[in-house]
Amino acid sequence: MKAFETYHPIVLFAYFASVIGLSMFYMHPVYLLITCIGAITLNLLLNRKSFISGLKFFLPMFFIAAIINPLISHDGEIILFYIDYNPITLEAIVYGFAMSIMICSVIFWFGCYNVVMTSDKFLYLFGKVSPALALVISLTLRLVPRFKHQITVISHAQKTIGMDISAGNPWQRVKSGIRIISILITWALENAIETADSMKARGYGLKNRSTFSLFVFEKRDGFLLGIILTLLFINILGSYFGVTTYYFYPTFTELTVTPISIGLYISYASLLVIPIVIEIREAIKWRSLKYNM
Amino acid sequence: MQAQSTARADIYSRKRLIFSSIIIFVVIPIIMLIGVTIFNDRKYNLISMIIVLLACVPFFVSFERRKPQAREILTIAVMSAISVAGRAAFIWIPAFKPVTAITAITGFAFGAEAGFLTGATSAIASNIFFGQGPWTPFQMFTWGILGFIAGLLGQKGWMKSKIALIIYGVFAGIMYSFCMDIWTVISYDGLFSWKRYLIAMSTAIPFTIVYVISNVVFLLVLAKPIGEKLERIKVKYGMLNN
Amino acid sequence: MALIEIQHVNFQYPDKQERVLDDINLTIEEGEFAVLCGTSGCGKSTLLKHLKREIAPHGDKSGVILYGGTALADLPDRVAASEIGFVMQNPENQIVTDKVWHELSFGLENLGLDTMTIRRRVAEMANFFGIQQWFRKSTMELSGGQKQLLNLAAIMAMQPKLLILDEPTSQLDPIAATEFIGTLQKLNKELGLTIILVEHRLEEVFPIADRVVVMEKGRIICNDSPQDVAQQLKAFDAYHPMMLGLPTPVRINNALQINDVVPLTIRDGRNWLTKHFTNEVRALDGKLSAANPTDDIVLEVNEAWFRYEKNAQDVLRGFSMQVRAGEIVSILGGNGTGKTTALGVMSGLFKPYRGKVFVNGKAIKKFSNGELYRNNLAVLPQDPLTLLVEKRVQLEFDSIIDVLGISKEAANVQLNEIIKTLNIGHLLDSHPYDLSGGEQQKVALAKVLLLNPKIILLDEPTKGIDAYSKEIFAEVLRALKKRRVAVVMVTHDIEFSAQYSDRCAMFFDGNIVSEDEPKLFYSGNNFYTTAAHRMSRHLYDFAVTSEDVISLCKHNQQLEQTSTPVNV
Repeated sequence: MKAFETYHPIVLFAYFASVIGLSMFYMHPVYLLITCIGAITLNLLLNRKSFISGLKFFLPMFFIAAIINPLISHDGEIILFYIDYNPITLEAIVYGFAMSIMICSVIFWFGCYNVVMTSDKFLYLFGKVSPALALVISLTLRLVPRFKHQITVISHAQKTIGMDISAGNPWQRVKSGIRIISILITWALENAIETADSMKARGYGLKNRSTFSLFVFEKRDGFLLGIILTLLFINILGSYFGVTTYYFYPTFTELTVTPISIGLYISYASLLVIPIVIEIREAIKWRSLKYNM
Repeated sequence: MQAQSTARADIYSRKRLIFSSIIIFVVIPIIMLIGVTIFNDRKYNLISMIIVLLACVPFFVSFERRKPQAREILTIAVMSAISVAGRAAFIWIPAFKPVTAITAITGFAFGAEAGFLTGATSAIASNIFFGQGPWTPFQMFTWGILGFIAGLLGQKGWMKSKIALIIYGVFAGIMYSFCMDIWTVISYDGLFSWKRYLIAMSTAIPFTIVYVISNVVFLLVLAKPIGEKLERIKVKYGMLNN
Repeated sequence: MALIEIQHVNFQYPDKQERVLDDINLTIEEGEFAVLCGTSGCGKSTLLKHLKREIAPHGDKSGVILYGGTALADLPDRVAASEIGFVMQNPENQIVTDKVWHELSFGLENLGLDTMTIRRRVAEMANFFGIQQWFRKSTMELSGGQKQLLNLAAIMAMQPKLLILDEPTSQLDPIAATEFIGTLQKLNKELGLTIILVEHRLEEVFPIADRVVVMEKGRIICNDSPQDVAQQLKAFDAYHPMMLGLPTPVRINNALQINDVVPLTIRDGRNWLTKHFTNEVRALDGKLSAANPTDDIVLEVNEAWFRYEKNAQDVLRGFSMQVRAGEIVSILGGNGTGKTTALGVMSGLFKPYRGKVFVNGKAIKKFSNGELYRNNLAVLPQDPLTLLVEKRVQLEFDSIIDVLGISKEAANVQLNEIIKTLNIGHLLDSHPYDLSGGEQQKVALAKVLLLNPKIILLDEPTKGIDAYSKEIFAEVLRALKKRRVAVVMVTHDIEFSAQYSDRCAMFFDGNIVSEDEPKLFYSGNNFYTTAAHRMSRHLYDFAVTSEDVISLCKHNQQLEQTSTPVNV
């Protein structure tokens, strides 16, 4: 499943920004349903393993947050029962669940984002906005694994002179850990001087620096970007005219089924299924290529 | 000539400081207020994210404008990478993170702007490794602003005493915890509600305590030696004195 | 045409008395391959840095450096950055970005080139250096050799006319180092690139250099073709520390009074030996100094099996070894054979899942950490800086004495003795990071010795240090031996192990495949053996060090000169 992520970073970013932005915006039950199903499907396609293992963390959070809401919020007209003279309302319960669905969906969308927007794509986009900071981040990304490795090396060396982070009482262990960080910082700063020299030696600091990337904006990227932006615009327009507004308090807004609202549901769903469609189309294409070979 | 150019650099950096301070302490609260009063459609989760991202922009812009030298870039990258990788040395204590302390120490030694950038970069980098989420902008801003404040305090020379470090550590731990919960709270209630916030906070109390303790411990133990190391680097390689 | 002309250059660091560069005059022609050498601290690295304007050290400088007839200081920024390339010692430190392709393009971005040009140059470099396979990889995934090759490629992408390299192979294993030198030779031969190389492993670069420049105390003492430099150096000072760093055939030639062309390669050395000496005495007599089998066994590994993770492959497969008191043992072998892991198992850092390790007859598992690393076993890590944390050397010792919890007086007696043995008294007030690699190593060793170990495990102790420092390190090893300390070192350094160890062991595929006293060990190998043995084995037996060959030559008759000497 690698078709969607081959699109240009700008397209991918536009997609996730639209989807995540809209997901946060909509509390309408139909929209929530579409968002949630869309997010789960795409996660199962792109990110199955870590998605499923992440569920055991998110599901309890989902329920706790949903259950807490009616205990705090006593708005709503349909009172189910009282706890300590405080009314527990159906609206608050439903609202709690709706909110949890929204938050989980957003987190799920970020899960897909993390798979698709790899660091080089992110840095490419960030570099367009802030090249110097993008360089800082790129350096940081390179240094983190290096430092992690060095932490292991230092802690081994320290262990053999009797300073072990895996033994002793907690305070001693914290002290050993801090000692390792201290050694690491000296080591890292002194080595960084050479890295700075290496940057200067290769002309860093000359005027008119350009940025290079391996990404090429193709015709298909423009086409997809057009679709995403159009669908985004339609949805924003819909919200502007209040078609997608939905209230839980004082009591539930009635769900209206009009041609316009159905059109909007479809446009939102189409935006969300873009990557799924692309993946499926690609899979079919490969299958036919294989048979023809 | 030399003196003139340093003087100019001085004015420039002071201007930047004033500019950033205004944005952080004046413009952003105003935007928030406007957001709260004008939009009453309860969509503050999205708006708050945008505001927080915007809040980082002036720092990025001024960093970009000034064409940072290789060594400045390296210092920020090294300190951020240490704050992210440093967690590996304390993996056995949950939520024990050196990020805030290291960001603050960078702020003490290199000033408010370097503090902000180190904090923000640490947040971006650590989220690239552990996964981005709605919390990313908040984390960027929180760590950034903690570094910024540390820089301001450090320049005043207030952070030499142990008590100051302890107060800062406690403040930073609570503030971090606060900022991490803000998005969920805003999402639920539209606008910020103390009631829900306190509940969210209370579930996070053990974490807040660990944040506070880790900050205080790291600051007390590390502030002096790392400060010395950074000074040594500054002296030895004639760094950051424009 | 002269590409570089250095005229009367003097330099000294601020607040320092002595000159680091003292009236340097040097001309490098276009297309030349020049090698610059000298013992550590002779000023060679400082001179190199002066040739690269962007990283020239700050201090008092006088004199002129001309690049293609223009003063270096007057070159336009862009020309200075792109036409003079500089590769440094540490492959890791030079890499800036997190992706290989980005690293290749970094310099080109700085020059402000457009995407199409960068794309083309990057592609060209990837092809020339064979980087295509790892083009999209993260820079952290590369091996040391690949990293250094990437650094070279990233600089070559900027199309320099002059390439300067400061000990580029010192952190690489021998195979990667040879490959790297080969690439340099290719650049010089095929592209006519001018190269200035600082190196202390001269064995390979001496024969391919057009010019060798030797420095001492900030001055140039020799500057000529490799053959002539070899002879001049001998005339200058027969016991000059630099002599130790020369290729084996040159050293053998210099030790014997032969009036002929100096042999630079093994091939020339073999012919030279045949031409000048008989082999009536084939081997030196005298006993082979194997360990006394009556000495106590202090370290024993018994059929150890180890893997890093449950589902990973075995790294050690039934590894066994015995080390006796006062013995120096070298473990040799290629990269990835598991020899460093073996050291980890011996040191108790890694626990074998099968098999046992005994220290002083007691199973290693039964020691607590405090006991094991005190008065028993110590490890000197490859990077001595992983042990050093304080801002002064003296404080390093104080901190460990605090941990030991013995009386200050007793500790000081011990410390003074160690300081004397290692000769580091003058370093006590320095910052550990201001010391040279060899000095840092000695400080770390002193720190470890304070724990009073009976066994010391060393991980590549001679990596990145020059021949003279190795000699000094060898003296330290002898002093330890005298104190009945057992030394086990993992090393790539064939020559060093042949000269100074009592026993050599070949590690392969998670196991020791052969072990013997060095003379037998190396004369039994055909490929994996010392330069002296490769040069002399057609005439002599068991000659594995240049000293062996020299004394064998002296025992044998010298053949008459048949022709008059010709010097190239």
